[in-house]
Amino acid sequence: MKIGLEVHVQLPTKSKMFCSCPTTDAEGPNMHVCPTCLGMPGSRPVLNKKVLEYGIMLAKMLGCSVADTAWFSRKTYFYPDMSKSVQITQYDNPIGVKGMYYLNGKKPIRITRIHLEEDPGKTKRVGDLSSLIDYNRSGIPLAEIVTEPDLKTPAEAREFLGELIQDIRHIIDLPGDGERSIRCDCNISVGVERCEVKNVTGLKNVERALTFEVIRQTKILKAGGKIDRETRRFDEQRGVTISVRKKEFEADYGYIDEPDLGIYHIKAMAESIKIKESPLKRTMRLSSEYGLNEKAAKQLVATSMDLADLFERVAKATDVQIAKTWVAGAVSANWKAFEANDKADEDGIVDIISKFADGKITDTECNLELKAYMTGKDTESLKGAAADLDAVISEYLDKNPAIVEDYRKNEKAANRVIGFVMKQTGGAYSSADVVTAATRLLKERL
Amino acid sequence: MTMQTVLSDIGSINDKYVMFNRFTEDSDPGDSKFLFSAKDNLTSKDFETCCGSRILEGYHPVFDATAIAKMRNAGGKLIGKTNMDEFGFGTFSANSGFGIPRNPFDLERACGGSSGGSACAAAVIEDHVSLGVSTGGSICCPASFCGVYGIAPTYGRVSRYGLIDYGNSLDKIGLLSAKASDLTRYLPVISGRDERDPTSCVQPELEIKGDRIRSVAVPKEAAEGLSKDVSEAFLNSLETLKGMGIDVEYVDMPALKYAMPAYYVLATSEASTNLARYVGMRYGHQDGDLSLKFDDYFTYFRSKYFGDEAKRRILLGTYTRMAGFRDRYYAKALKVRMYVIDAYKQILKDHDAVLAPTMPFVAPRFDDISKMTPVESYKADYLTVPANLAGTPHLSVPCGYNADGMPIGMQFVADHWNEDRLLTMANEWDKAFDVRKAEVSL
Amino acid sequence: MDREIVERVARAAHISLTEEELAKYSQDLTDILDYFKILDEAPDFEGFGVNPIEVADVVREDEPKMEFDPDELLKDMNTYDGYVRGPRLS
Repeated sequence: MKIGLEVHVQLPTKSKMFCSCPTTDAEGPNMHVCPTCLGMPGSRPVLNKKVLEYGIMLAKMLGCSVADTAWFSRKTYFYPDMSKSVQITQYDNPIGVKGMYYLNGKKPIRITRIHLEEDPGKTKRVGDLSSLIDYNRSGIPLAEIVTEPDLKTPAEAREFLGELIQDIRHIIDLPGDGERSIRCDCNISVGVERCEVKNVTGLKNVERALTFEVIRQTKILKAGGKIDRETRRFDEQRGVTISVRKKEFEADYGYIDEPDLGIYHIKAMAESIKIKESPLKRTMRLSSEYGLNEKAAKQLVATSMDLADLFERVAKATDVQIAKTWVAGAVSANWKAFEANDKADEDGIVDIISKFADGKITDTECNLELKAYMTGKDTESLKGAAADLDAVISEYLDKNPAIVEDYRKNEKAANRVIGFVMKQTGGAYSSADVVTAATRLLKERL
Repeated sequence: MTMQTVLSDIGSINDKYVMFNRFTEDSDPGDSKFLFSAKDNLTSKDFETCCGSRILEGYHPVFDATAIAKMRNAGGKLIGKTNMDEFGFGTFSANSGFGIPRNPFDLERACGGSSGGSACAAAVIEDHVSLGVSTGGSICCPASFCGVYGIAPTYGRVSRYGLIDYGNSLDKIGLLSAKASDLTRYLPVISGRDERDPTSCVQPELEIKGDRIRSVAVPKEAAEGLSKDVSEAFLNSLETLKGMGIDVEYVDMPALKYAMPAYYVLATSEASTNLARYVGMRYGHQDGDLSLKFDDYFTYFRSKYFGDEAKRRILLGTYTRMAGFRDRYYAKALKVRMYVIDAYKQILKDHDAVLAPTMPFVAPRFDDISKMTPVESYKADYLTVPANLAGTPHLSVPCGYNADGMPIGMQFVADHWNEDRLLTMANEWDKAFDVRKAEVSL
Repeated sequence: MDREIVERVARAAHISLTEEELAKYSQDLTDILDYFKILDEAPDFEGFGVNPIEVADVVREDEPKMEFDPDELLKDMNTYDGYVRGPRLS
């Protein structure tokens, strides 16, 4: 079984690709429109610079070679949502080619190409068999990412899309419901001949559509039949794919260059654009380079990329073990407060940990200083609070000495202490602090 | 004619000459400094804009073409939209879906095309300048047939915002007038970078310093296939030029023979995509049966409202870019264009302009036109097409009259961005040659 | 030019032709393409251009703005409830 995807991602620009209409949701149909995106005779396209930037960023993220010169093409086809019956796209000169995407950081999925194009409007079927068109979406910029048929199952396709979106979101700030702003044309062949399911919206539907196709195609082949190469569409409500028409031949699109826009020399722009490492890549690298276990690495990256940066910085300034203990520990625990604190920065944190590494302060002092620095609370009040917490825990252990014995056998016994203290102190202490203090005091009594 | 007279007579002028598809009802010029007209493929807010085609009947643009807006800002009053071949497809304005303009020198003859109405207006109405558009020769051809001056500037000199497209890499907006000095007066008005049209944003500034043409190259290929009267008038004009101190030299230009087919391939390929939007929705006629499937609905309108030549060029242009044929035609034509541009540049290294007659014959009679085959009418453009393909600026000046008094024109082609030279030439020629006016009686 | 090809081209261009028109246009296109044959002989020229003068690097900043009143734009269109009416989809 082979599955290939053509993924259409709406680029989050503020204005449309070839006109200045806003891309935000409009109050009603046909409210964010102008002569250009309505295809009015005499109107003309002007390229939004941001589209090129985003295109290059995505091309680089996918490991593609970026073209030195970019230009656009006209693809002619007739449909009511096409305001000029022509889509401005890239035919023989996509912005990026021959990339590679590693699913789960391991499985290579070849990326054939990525190109830029404009979205058509949206159609609605009406009871009386005519249609209603909303051109608000007409002219919104899209990146189309085409994969080779390297995906093996519908589930894998879904996984691929999920990771891809997360990575894209990381570098170009996709809107919250990014999952729904992804549309795919899915190509699938169980046997020899493939079918295309066009315009499937969202990850879940991609998996559903592909799963249906697997079943449908398998059934036909098992009965000794032949698969017709065709285009189908996915009916979301019924969960089935429906034949639309025989696969269009490229002949009918009649591509020509788009003279209204000219060409773009993007080599310099491409060279100056640096993309941030994706969360997945960072997680994998922290594991492999620093021996951090995957769960801990994921935790760091999920909290904040800056925290992950800090981890690497501390590891280099002192050593990996110290970074593991302190950054993944106390620093991580106080991260939220630190982000809200204008007066503290990463340099201060590195200084404190370095003092510990040099043996100038003890681990208890380091813990306290970090907390004070990051939260902005003064050490005295923190010391006092810490002492109070110790008192609450000690009092509880005094009253329940059996717990210490339980703890000797099974570390999970500490949870009872922690649970009690949390309830007792009513959230005055962070869970991380309670855990650390309880563990310490239990260990002392062993 | 004063501005007032023009406005009050405009109805009867148009009844006789049919230069306008729509014209103003105003009788008062107000504080306008001059009157002008514009080809009906330039959008105007106050006039229906049909581009010579029935499929756009009822199109009321919400924006003025930049060229029109600029003329207005300079104090001009737009008095009418001139008749043209449908979407620019034609050499005689006979393919108009509305009125067909008549030659002011002989009403039984055509004005040329596709800016026929503009040339007619320029020849008939005194002190009148008209905005025309050239794709393959549509400014200079009618200028030549109607005995007026016409200039098609460099591609990209005048913003095409508001121009209803024929060929986006070929269309140029220019001027027609009976007065040579009008070209110098109005070209700076309509030229300049416009952020709404990227192709207008790379031009160097238009500098009018009186740069002169001191030498011209006449391609030998251009002297073939001319009617006797044109040949005679042209040769006489060469003598006049020599008398003006201009050097005339015959050159070989083998690239010229490839220009026509390359032009038609590119122009129709682009046009067929530009015309794809006319489907009976959004603008123009929209009153079809919505229960028809969209393919049938679109086909209904296009078949009903496109004229014969429009259909022919759409079919041709769809074919030349279809997979399987695209390399042989479209892709090849792109390369041939570069080759033709290079051929011009080579010659223009040693000469200030390339010169040839504008058209191979005088304005034909309407009944002769109806007998022409498509190939024959395409071939009539062989003198204007090469400069248009190359995007080089070119100027047609009246240079003679045949035994019937029909005007003959000759065309100067300068290098990209050298309109200055052409403007000076027009003014100098105007002093050396007696331009005849058409007799206008209403 | 092959009648079948003309039919295919007409379908792609969404133009319906009567028998008479089909015959006429087939002949016209044959004649025209015959005339175009000379292109095959044109020398191969190194060079690439989308326009006759180089148009390069013209872009606009990503600033949203509405310049026209949508009601103005839709005034001559066949609309219903703010939507543009269109024909049947399938």
